[in-house]
Amino acid sequence: MSALLQAKGVVKRFGGLIAVDNVDIHVDEGEMVGLIGPNGSGKTTLFDCLSRVQTVDDGQVTFDGVDITRKPPHKVAHLGLARTFQVIRVYRDLTVLENMELSVQWRDVTISKLFRRSDSTTTDKADQLIDFLLLTRLRNEQAGTLSGGQRRLLEIGMSLMSDPKLILLDEATSGVNPSLVDEIKERLKILNQERGVGFLLVEHDIRFVKDLCERVVVLNYGAKLAEGPPEQIMEDAAVIEAYFGDDGGTHAPSPGQVDDAPERTETV
Amino acid sequence: MIDFLRSPQLRKVGLVIAGLILVYLVVLPLRESTNNAQLFTLTLMFTNVGVAINWNLTGGFTGYIDFGHAVWFGIGAYVTAILMSNDSIGPEIGWPPVPSIIAGAMVAGVLAALIGRATMRLKGPYFSIAMLGTFLAVREIVRVSAPLTGGGVGLTLPPYLNRPLFYYLQLGLVVALIAFSWWLRNTRFGSSLVAIREDEVGAEMRGINATRAKVAVFSFSGMSTGLFGALFAYQFTFVDPDVAFVELRTVDAVMGTMLGGIGTVVGPIIGAVALYWLKEILWANFLDFHLIVQGVLLIIIVLYVPKGLAGIFDPRVTSITSLWTKWFGGESEDAYNDAESAMSNNGAASEGSEASATAELAELEADR
Repeated sequence: MSALLQAKGVVKRFGGLIAVDNVDIHVDEGEMVGLIGPNGSGKTTLFDCLSRVQTVDDGQVTFDGVDITRKPPHKVAHLGLARTFQVIRVYRDLTVLENMELSVQWRDVTISKLFRRSDSTTTDKADQLIDFLLLTRLRNEQAGTLSGGQRRLLEIGMSLMSDPKLILLDEATSGVNPSLVDEIKERLKILNQERGVGFLLVEHDIRFVKDLCERVVVLNYGAKLAEGPPEQIMEDAAVIEAYFGDDGGTHAPSPGQVDDAPERTETV
Repeated sequence: MIDFLRSPQLRKVGLVIAGLILVYLVVLPLRESTNNAQLFTLTLMFTNVGVAINWNLTGGFTGYIDFGHAVWFGIGAYVTAILMSNDSIGPEIGWPPVPSIIAGAMVAGVLAALIGRATMRLKGPYFSIAMLGTFLAVREIVRVSAPLTGGGVGLTLPPYLNRPLFYYLQLGLVVALIAFSWWLRNTRFGSSLVAIREDEVGAEMRGINATRAKVAVFSFSGMSTGLFGALFAYQFTFVDPDVAFVELRTVDAVMGTMLGGIGTVVGPIIGAVALYWLKEILWANFLDFHLIVQGVLLIIIVLYVPKGLAGIFDPRVTSITSLWTKWFGGESEDAYNDAESAMSNNGAASEGSEASATAELAELEADR
C-alpha cells in the first residue's frame, strides 16, 4: 500500500539558499511521525511545501494518491490535509465558535450552502470539539484574547473541523505551559487511536515526540539526516552532532537535552 | 452605559428609527414644498451611501483597502456616456438609457474582476497603492482616448430630467444594497471574506478559495459602484475626466466608512450620511477651506476614533490601521497576553517572522 502522504526529492530554494534539499518523507494512514532538527534546518519550510503554502521547486508530493505538487492550498485542504502554524493563525477578531465554524470542510460547501448561514450540524460539531479541547468556557470569547496555549488548542480544533486524514502540527507545544502540553498529548493520542487521524509533527520537545511517534525524521541544513524509531534517533551520533556540534565526545548529552527550548527540557 | 449601548433594546429602537426615516424619505417627493434641488441633493447622498457600502464590502469585510474605488464610478459613468451620447465629439452610438446604464455597470464589474485578479495578489498597503495607481492610470487613458471619450472636453448626454424618478431609483438601490450587505455578512460566503481579512494564508490552508472569494466580491462592488456612476452620468448629462474620476469620491467612501465603523453593516450608512451633511454645512459656510477642514477631520478620526461610531457599540469593530498591520504583524500586534507564553515566545517569534518574511517573498515570486 502506498503512503498517505508521500514526498519525493522535494527541493525549495530561496535565491541561493537551499532551504529544503532533496527530502523524501512519507506518512502512512493513521501514523504519527515526528520531524525534528535544529533551528533553521527547514522543518517549517518543508511543512509549507507539503501543505502547498510554498511552491515546490523540484520533486513531487502526493497525498491520498493525488499529485498535489502544483495544487493551490485550498484544494489540498479539500483532500483532507490540514495543518497548524508555528506562528498561530486564528481569526483574531472572531469568537472561538466562529473560528471553528469557519474551518468546516469547504469541499462540501456547495454554492447554495455558501450563500446561507452556517447550519446547526456545524455548530454542534464545533461545540463538541470545543468541549473536547477544554475550551468550553471560552466559546464566545474573541480568539485574540486567548492565551498562547489556548490558541494552539483552538488551532488544533480548527484543523479537526474538516475531518482531515492527516494533520501537520507545527510546534503544537511551543508557548504552552507544561500541564497543558500533557493535555494536548492526550488529545492527540485519542484522535489518533479513535479517529485514525495521522499526524506529522514538528517539535522541539523531544519527550513529546518520543511519547507519540513511532518514527522520527531528522532534518539538518535542509537535508534528511536520519530516520528511525525515536530511541534509535536519540542515540544517533550524527543527530547529536547536528544539535551540539562535534566536541570529540567529551560529554555525551542525555537524550532529553536534544531540545533547544531549555525551559521545558526534562531529562528522560 | 456600554451595556446599554450594546443592548438588543437599543437595536430595536435603531430599527424603528431607520424605518421612520425610510417612510419619511419615501413620502418626501410627494410633498408640495419639496423642490428638485432638494431631491437632487438627497440623490447625491444616496450615491455616496451606496459607494461607501460597496467600498466596505472589499475594504471592511475582506480587508482589502481600496484607494482607487472611484475608478469604477468613472468607468460606469463613461461607458454609459459613450453609449448614449449623440454628441459629434464622441462615437455617436446613441443607445437608449436603460441598456447603456446596465452596460456601464457590467463593464465596471468585468474590469474589476480582471484588474482585481492582478492587484489582489498584493497585500495591505501595496494593494491600496496599486488601486490608487489604477485610478490615476484609467483617468489618463480616458483623457487621451479622445475619439472614444471626447478627451478632456468630455461628452454630453441627451438631457432627461426627472428628479423624482432618479430619487426613487437610487433610494431603492441603496435600500437593496443595505439588505444585500446585511444578508451577505450573515452567509458563509460573508464569513469566509472575514476569514480572509483576519488571516488569508490560514483561510486558504483551511480550504477557502481566497482568490475566488475576494475577486468575486471586488467585482460585485465594482459593478455596483459602476451602476451609481452610470446613473450619475445620466442625471448630470455631462461627463469629463475630472467630473467622472474624482479622488474625493474614494476619500468620501473611505472616510464615511471609517467614521461609521469599518467592516460593519451599519457603519458605512451612518458614516456616509453624517459625512455628507457635514460636508454640505462646511461647503455652505466655509467654501474656501472646506477641504482643509475635511482633511483635519480625517486625521482626527484616524487618531482618536479609529473604530468609528460603531466601535462604541461593539468592541470587535476593526480599523484601517489594524487591517494593515495584520498583513505584517503576524502575532506581534497584540501578541500573547499571558506571561508564561511571553517567556517562551522569544525564540519562536524570531524564527516565525523570518518564516513569514520568506513566505511573503516567495508569494511575490510565485506565479500561481
